[in-house]
Amino acid sequence: MNRLRRTLVCRHALSVSVGACALLLFGVRLARAQDADPFARLDAGSRFAVELMIDSANTLQLPSDLLRSTALQGLAVHADAKRIVRAVRTTFTNLKTARAVLGPVNSEELKAGAAVLYAGVKPTQLVPFRVRQKDRNDLQAFIVWADLITRGVPSEEASSAIIKLWQHGADDATFYGLWNSVQSDIIKGLNPGAALQNRIRETPGAPAATKVTPPEGQQENQSSR
Amino acid sequence: MNGPKVAILTIAAALLVPVSQVLVAQIASNIEAGQYSVSDGLLPINAFRIAPTLQFAMPHATFKARGSAFVSEQSVQLADGIVTGTFTSPTVYGVRAEMIGNASRAIDDRSLGTDQVDVQTRVHVLFHQHGGVWLGGGVARPWRVAVASSADVTDAGAWAKIGDALAKFGTATMTATFTNFSFTKVASVNDTGSASLSCGASPIAAPTAMRALFSEAAVTGACERQSRFSDLEGSVHWEVGAIELAASSGYRFGDSYDVTPDSKRWTAGTATVWLNDRIAIIGGGGRQPALPLRGVPARSFGMAGLELAYWPLSRSAVPVSLPHAALVKTFEMHPTLAGMQKLIIHVGGVETVDVMGDFSDWSPLTLIRRGRDLWELSVPLSAGTHQINVRVDGGPWMAPPGTPTMHDSYGGDVGLIVVAATDKGAR
Repeated sequence: MNRLRRTLVCRHALSVSVGACALLLFGVRLARAQDADPFARLDAGSRFAVELMIDSANTLQLPSDLLRSTALQGLAVHADAKRIVRAVRTTFTNLKTARAVLGPVNSEELKAGAAVLYAGVKPTQLVPFRVRQKDRNDLQAFIVWADLITRGVPSEEASSAIIKLWQHGADDATFYGLWNSVQSDIIKGLNPGAALQNRIRETPGAPAATKVTPPEGQQENQSSR
Repeated sequence: MNGPKVAILTIAAALLVPVSQVLVAQIASNIEAGQYSVSDGLLPINAFRIAPTLQFAMPHATFKARGSAFVSEQSVQLADGIVTGTFTSPTVYGVRAEMIGNASRAIDDRSLGTDQVDVQTRVHVLFHQHGGVWLGGGVARPWRVAVASSADVTDAGAWAKIGDALAKFGTATMTATFTNFSFTKVASVNDTGSASLSCGASPIAAPTAMRALFSEAAVTGACERQSRFSDLEGSVHWEVGAIELAASSGYRFGDSYDVTPDSKRWTAGTATVWLNDRIAIIGGGGRQPALPLRGVPARSFGMAGLELAYWPLSRSAVPVSLPHAALVKTFEMHPTLAGMQKLIIHVGGVETVDVMGDFSDWSPLTLIRRGRDLWELSVPLSAGTHQINVRVDGGPWMAPPGTPTMHDSYGGDVGLIVVAATDKGAR
């Protein structure tokens, strides 16, 4: 009797194990199937809109991978379909605007230009970057520009500083050094605008600026995010 | 009994699961060495123990090989070896499935070695990475011990974590586990220390393991008997600063035939002091209960040793610190092979660290823990600008510290990393 009971229990345990294993394998295969067609989770209308914009970007020789990435990020953070379509449309528009203003730059610069526009920079403020010396790349300048605005530096102050540095011939190391100093000061609690003004004075080739000290009691990071 | 065959087929089937091309396998290794003392008289009383581990990890599967050897009296004695495969499903609504397969050999003295293959499945329910419960079951098939069948193993447990890496008193994780074992044992009157056990009229030939452990007179009247016992164990792992303390205590339920007096209760503890991310001093001791499926008797032990975790950091590493970052201390990136970048994150007191970005099509990739607060992952990253986010313990996605940041289209922030075309100027 004990042997029969033991056999039944053992078979039951095996069945449960194999069943769980099958479920696990099914889950992995399902996930893999979704990997193969990541837009499968979008409804038909939204999917059509996203794929149409990607095709249009390809036709215009814009970096369509940014649009695809934007849509995939939306899916990853479980954004609703309308928001995903809106985000892809905004990115597409910014890419077209960046191309129109900057001219024939490479796709990385174009993507960085679109990021700057998304951060709140006006298209006309990108115009100084259209004319450049040979082999000069505005990628680092754009990345620092977008970051400063994201960290709470007023858009006009950040734009003014970056444009002037660019016009004075600043190289990538200069932009990176400025960013590193400003973000460090912001983390320590300095007002973002004041941090930029203080650090821009120390930057080689930068226009003169008045040193700003934070008002009493304002040591906290005022960055909006 | 078809148990072992089914288990092996199950593992083989799981191995056939293809891995997404985006995902990259990672290899890790570490080594432990130290002095180990036991009181059961089978192993050397004092021995130098060396235990290397090699791990091959993918996002939903991990393979680990571990062995240990005792060095004493100018000879090397293999102590044990285990190969483990773990398959984990994606977490859906806080529920995760896990399948664990092991093949192991334990050598308890100079002549006796036992083998075991086991497969176990578990279903975990997680509560925001700060607690959870699990329920599991499986089968184990031992060889060369006084066990005549596969063993059914069922377990259930619960865990909770309090505190975090920034808390003054660190983090403490408490776990309670209940495990039930059921198998058919080859009985000997010596098992109970008395002649009260009657084998009736169906004596069988005792296996080799019993002949090695008992006298010929004791094994002459051996017979099969259903054996069942349960372990209830509680453990605490406390991590504060560079110190980790772990303690566990348990109680074994079962009748006197299945549970010997020296295995009724046990307590053990270890203390680990991390000298840096990769080197730690470990000391501990206590009592282990008998492991009938492995033929290992109850024993007391004491150990002191050194753990060397993985390979050293690149000397070109330039960590960027961010003192006010919530949990992630630093984020670094270093080129490795062509087209590959090693992402290195320092964060303490967490269970998981994930990254995702355009390079992974925004699918989360789980980092491998390489040392105390050190997490690493090698990913394919082409030259150019990439967006990246990081999260710990399944929390909110955030830009890694020390990287330029921008708002994304969905109300969050993403970090920007630039991989230079030469593959040497990444930052």
